[in-house]
Amino acid sequence: MFRYSAILAFALPASLSAAALDFQRDVRPILSNHCYHCHGPDEQGRKGKLRLDIREDALKAGKSGELAIVPGKVESSEVIRRIFNHDEDELMPPPEAKKPITDEQKNILKRWVAEGAEYTPHWAFVKPVAVAVPPGVHPVDYFIQKKLHESGLEPAPEADAYTLARRVSLDLIGLQPTPAQLNAFVKAYRANPQVAYESYVDQLLASPAYGERWARRWLDLARYADTNGYEKDRERSIWPYRDWVIKALNADMPFDEFSIEQLAGDMLPGATLDQRIATGFNRNTMLNEEGGIDPLEFRFHAMTDRVATTSATWLGLTMQCTQCHTHKFDPITHTEYYGMMAFLNNADEPDLDLPNAEADSQHEGNLKKAAALLKQLPAKWPNDKPNNNAETAFGQWLKTERARTVAWKTLKPLKAETNLLLLTVQPDGSLLGSGDITKSDTYDLTLAADDQTITAIRLEALPDDSLPGHGPGMCNYEGPKGDFFMGEFKVTVGGKPVKIATATESYSKNNFGKAAVNALLAVDGDPQTGWSCAGRYGERHEAVFVLAEPIPAGATVQVQMQFGRHYACPLGHFKLSATSDAQAVARDMDHDLVALLMKPSLAEPEKQKLWEYFLLNAPELAAESKRIRDLRAEPTYPITLVMRERPANHPRPTFRHHRGEFTQPKEEVPPVTLSVLHPFPQEAPKNRLGFARWLMSPENPLTPRVIVNRQWATLFGRGLVKTVDDFGYQGSAPSHPELLDWLAVEFIRQGWSMKKLHKLIVTSATYRQRVQPTVLSLQNDPENVLVSRFPRVRLEAEMIRDAMLKAAGLLNPKLGGPSVYPPQPDSVTEVAYGKFQWKASTGEDRYRRSLYTFSKRTAPFALYTTFDAPTGESCLVKRESSNSALQALTLMNDVIFTEGAQALGKILAGQTVEDAQRIKQLYLRVLSRLPDADELQLTLAFIDQQRARLKSGELKAAEITGISEKESTEAAAWTLVARALFNLDEFITKG
Amino acid sequence: MLSSPTFYSRRHFLRDCTYGLGKVAAAGLLTDSLAQAASSNPLSARGPHFAPKAKRVIHLFMAGAPSQLETFDPKPMLTKYEGRPIPPEIIGGQRYAFIRPDAAALGPRFKFAQHGESGAWISEVMPHIAQVADELCIVRSVKTDQFNHAPAQIFFQTGFGQPGRPCMGSWALYGLGSESQNLPAFVVMSTGSGLSGGTALMSSGFLPTIYNGVRFRNSGDPILNVSSPAGIDARAQRDTLDLVSQLNQKRLGAVGDPEIATRIASYEMAFRMQTSAPELTDLKSESKETLEMYGCDPDKPSYARACLLARRMIERGVRFVNIYHEGWDAHSNVEGNVRKNCGETDQASAALVKDLKQRGLLDDTLVVWGGEFGRTPMVETNPALGRALGRDHHPQAFTIWMAGGGVKGGQTIGATDELGFNVIEDPVHVHDVQATMLHLLGFDHERLIYHTQGRDYRLTDVHGNVVKKILA
Repeated sequence: MFRYSAILAFALPASLSAAALDFQRDVRPILSNHCYHCHGPDEQGRKGKLRLDIREDALKAGKSGELAIVPGKVESSEVIRRIFNHDEDELMPPPEAKKPITDEQKNILKRWVAEGAEYTPHWAFVKPVAVAVPPGVHPVDYFIQKKLHESGLEPAPEADAYTLARRVSLDLIGLQPTPAQLNAFVKAYRANPQVAYESYVDQLLASPAYGERWARRWLDLARYADTNGYEKDRERSIWPYRDWVIKALNADMPFDEFSIEQLAGDMLPGATLDQRIATGFNRNTMLNEEGGIDPLEFRFHAMTDRVATTSATWLGLTMQCTQCHTHKFDPITHTEYYGMMAFLNNADEPDLDLPNAEADSQHEGNLKKAAALLKQLPAKWPNDKPNNNAETAFGQWLKTERARTVAWKTLKPLKAETNLLLLTVQPDGSLLGSGDITKSDTYDLTLAADDQTITAIRLEALPDDSLPGHGPGMCNYEGPKGDFFMGEFKVTVGGKPVKIATATESYSKNNFGKAAVNALLAVDGDPQTGWSCAGRYGERHEAVFVLAEPIPAGATVQVQMQFGRHYACPLGHFKLSATSDAQAVARDMDHDLVALLMKPSLAEPEKQKLWEYFLLNAPELAAESKRIRDLRAEPTYPITLVMRERPANHPRPTFRHHRGEFTQPKEEVPPVTLSVLHPFPQEAPKNRLGFARWLMSPENPLTPRVIVNRQWATLFGRGLVKTVDDFGYQGSAPSHPELLDWLAVEFIRQGWSMKKLHKLIVTSATYRQRVQPTVLSLQNDPENVLVSRFPRVRLEAEMIRDAMLKAAGLLNPKLGGPSVYPPQPDSVTEVAYGKFQWKASTGEDRYRRSLYTFSKRTAPFALYTTFDAPTGESCLVKRESSNSALQALTLMNDVIFTEGAQALGKILAGQTVEDAQRIKQLYLRVLSRLPDADELQLTLAFIDQQRARLKSGELKAAEITGISEKESTEAAAWTLVARALFNLDEFITKG
Repeated sequence: MLSSPTFYSRRHFLRDCTYGLGKVAAAGLLTDSLAQAASSNPLSARGPHFAPKAKRVIHLFMAGAPSQLETFDPKPMLTKYEGRPIPPEIIGGQRYAFIRPDAAALGPRFKFAQHGESGAWISEVMPHIAQVADELCIVRSVKTDQFNHAPAQIFFQTGFGQPGRPCMGSWALYGLGSESQNLPAFVVMSTGSGLSGGTALMSSGFLPTIYNGVRFRNSGDPILNVSSPAGIDARAQRDTLDLVSQLNQKRLGAVGDPEIATRIASYEMAFRMQTSAPELTDLKSESKETLEMYGCDPDKPSYARACLLARRMIERGVRFVNIYHEGWDAHSNVEGNVRKNCGETDQASAALVKDLKQRGLLDDTLVVWGGEFGRTPMVETNPALGRALGRDHHPQAFTIWMAGGGVKGGQTIGATDELGFNVIEDPVHVHDVQATMLHLLGFDHERLIYHTQGRDYRLTDVHGNVVKKILA
């Protein structure tokens, strides 16, 4: 809920006559809100050739020939004449703009012109400088109290020890203290408040829960989710990125490194696995897998999201406007937007396999089992026919196979052209694809002439680790990863088509639909039918095309391949070979074995290999060999989504898009940073890494301010700059500019250490104030802009659930790993496309910290959205803090809160102390404080009342507790009390 | 607004006020904080720009995109062209989801006739809607920017093809506030298998989350968590609320934060919802005639039941109702698809219009029927996908209808070319539909704005014109 919308007290001095005019504070907001839309940076939308955001332009004559502003001469300044005009045709802003300015504003402009119409640069675009803080004073308090005193206020006294312990614990680790931690702290605090508090803060900063708490803040910006979004919204695996964030924050990785690794970790020299995982930041964009979409269109949307997110996260600027046109208010051009995109737009987006010792050791075990089974295989041969034992059958097989083994010679590609993606010739003569795929991809290959006659051409579809699903196809959305569908395979010589007589394939299967797929259908002239190898991704397959007429030796062969269906699915790795033997057929056998078949005589180990192949493929042993094959299957590693910069010979061009539309690309735009900010170093490479380093340069006036402001906003409920997402002209001015700048400079000076920054702020007296306002502070600081007291702030969704789990003794502190499915009603995901089922985790995963909850974009976890958590569909800088009846229903009736109340009820019922003691325990666990006499009385009365009803049988204890044991009456009574406490405003509020 | 916590007396406050303000100052603080709680309540009415014609909206969203060529836009020429490709100069550069642009034309699968005094063309597959033809303003010339389901649905609801912006219901609530003391003001129902656009279709986007659409669910509690947990009867719930309220009031006294007053009010509203939601969904009080008119089995979730519930909701002060009926995505067998979906929706859609009319509610309730785009005049056939005689997505032209509050019924607006490919008369862009709906609710779509992310946003982005012909 937004609380107030009044203009800030400091925004305009009460008496202008006394105070000097400040351009940024008093003048620019008027110009920006009322004039820049037509007379600002946007050249396209500019009226009357007049530009008012730059002084030298404003002093020139506009289209009318009149001088807009003549410094010191109000009567000669057209701007002043027009704003005071009574003629509707002359009046500025024009009435149809629906942005009238007040008389007070008119007078400000008039006075400003009279005083010389001086412009000063926007504060946020000027590098911050730290003013000196007197020694022995906490810098935060120094700046805050200076302002308080100016307003005739004093800071509020320090909060009590219980409140402090809960507040700072919730802020730093997202959890309240246990009663034992609380009591220990209170005791120590009584002895020495300063020392006790600092050491308590240090403990919290060292807790692994710190990383989890602050990771959740960061994941809002990163728009993290566990699904792809849009209609299908299928699961994706990017939790290793989430774990990377937790780990980095716990290690207090300097924020500049933290940023550079996420934007361009893959490009760092000798990039580590972790640095590559970090690039998941910009892989958190959505992926549309709806049937029939244009993948390039949604890649473009992902790119605009990356620009917006990168800009909001690090620059605090609203770049979205400039997707369509030059910014109406801020000095950012349409072209600069695409210039920033160009930095980020030169990467491919592969999956990364992560090493996994568990999978490896399991695989090793499987291979051993497979080897043992293989040894037993000959004994399984059905020996009912004495003349057909395994040995004789092998001899027969060998003879047959040798007879149909032909020699293949690789056709080396001379040229490999495509409509879009890059085919790179590999040392073995195969071609490896990379880059963007489309729904209709065509490869045109020119192959080196061969010295033999060609009677058949073999196409091998090959796996590769760089491809989605390890290939052989490049499908990465909608269809299975690694899928391909070849609609046409055409051979020409000298421009004339070569007829294909027959075709065979080693394997074929259609992923979608019931229609047949095979190699022959790829030469039938209909691109809607063809060859596909669904189900066996990451394996080698082949198709052999026998020509109707042989191609004479020395001829240059051209092959055209067409791919695609309602999703993009070209082959990603393949090889073409030729034979002069017309016997050629496709077979499912590795090359080394084929080579052995070509040998006239075999050594024993060689024979052994063929023997094993024979046994494994003999129909007589199909059941047994399937077991062996399954055991031999490659281990499946967890994957994560990363960035991979494109090779130098295949840069992706970036274009300016007219009106921001995908279908309207105009001129190509090179990488360029915003001209209003610090310059891009001349020697630096114009790529993603160069951009990341430029962004984290200490010269950057915005980033350190934006970051410290966001930390402040998290701790105090509002930023020093209230518009945490907008540091541009339309953003609000900082309430404490000197403090903001001091913190920004200090943040860099302390090596961009987040933990030091957090410690600095939470150890201030400002942070430790009470929440209770005085009458004077309510009068002089109604919105608490001056921080004359500590603000009460509602807890974030995840913190509410986590605090409840902790109070109930249920919280499972396990760090990291794949996301989990805590219980929620089935109906939450009822609306999700494709009959998605939410299968609630059982056991300990039910009670993991909330940031590990599986995050489904189109049907997010209901409890979290009810408390304003984001869906992960776009970058969220600041969460709302609403207050609704649905929240009340959730806390009262939701399954997880019910389980929590039951668990806590059981704990309390199990204690053998008197009720008052138990109620104190309850308050300590839930509210981190003791009840006062009134509260104790009210709570005691409630439990007596409920006990009576339970004993009389009016209430069914077993239903309330979910347990049917004898002593459940007590557990039920305490469940009801615990439930009531979880519903207090105080429980879900940081006080 | 939410009901103010009147039970919280001045006497209580002064007693609980423990942090040392003077009594007089404290009394003033109490008044202020309660007043602030009320004035800052985002669900209190902001007020329209001019007198609204419609006070409530029921939007029947036919998700998946119904074929206009089988329902409201008769194209006999298509039968003549059947089997032949549509000339490339008509197709232009349009991209398609599944078909190739040279696919052949497919004639309409149903017969059309004129209905009502207005002589509206409606196909035989909608016999019930045909009976209310004179209430409808049929718009045959709607166009959209998006040709895939999720983006197009999100576009229709939020004016933008990507998730993240507020939907129409949220804008309406933002502008008009809530009239209901015991039910959510913006309710969303769905009758089918899942929505392509997901929760983005009912999201408040960057508006405060309090404007989110609240889903009425087909299974379990109609509103999530509206039932108390097992074993907790009404009295135990009331007792609990009383304790919670007393303790919250003490806290309010101790810290003087008006947010606590709002919290207390939220709990009272939640408690009322616990009674009003089951009352709403209990259809026992509906007559047999009414149930039959809708074709509604009171115990089974269905489109008909959702329509009847929608009427009950607006009777109880709900402001905006979305009903999604999924399943219109006829890539194959468009005839069977339209027949099935009309079988599930035609009677109830018509019944809703009739029922509202006979209860005098139609005058100030806007009913809108339609999908996210249209379907191609060309056939979709694809043996590899096992598809035949279907129609692909068609953003260039589709049909919706509107009825009720402020709408001039008994007319058909707009026309498409003889093949039904492009609009040739009175084009109505989705942004125009949105501008018109807001207009009927009393808003100038250019002035219903919200400032965020450095600029003003509105439902119609930077587009949209009110379609005057639609207005009564």
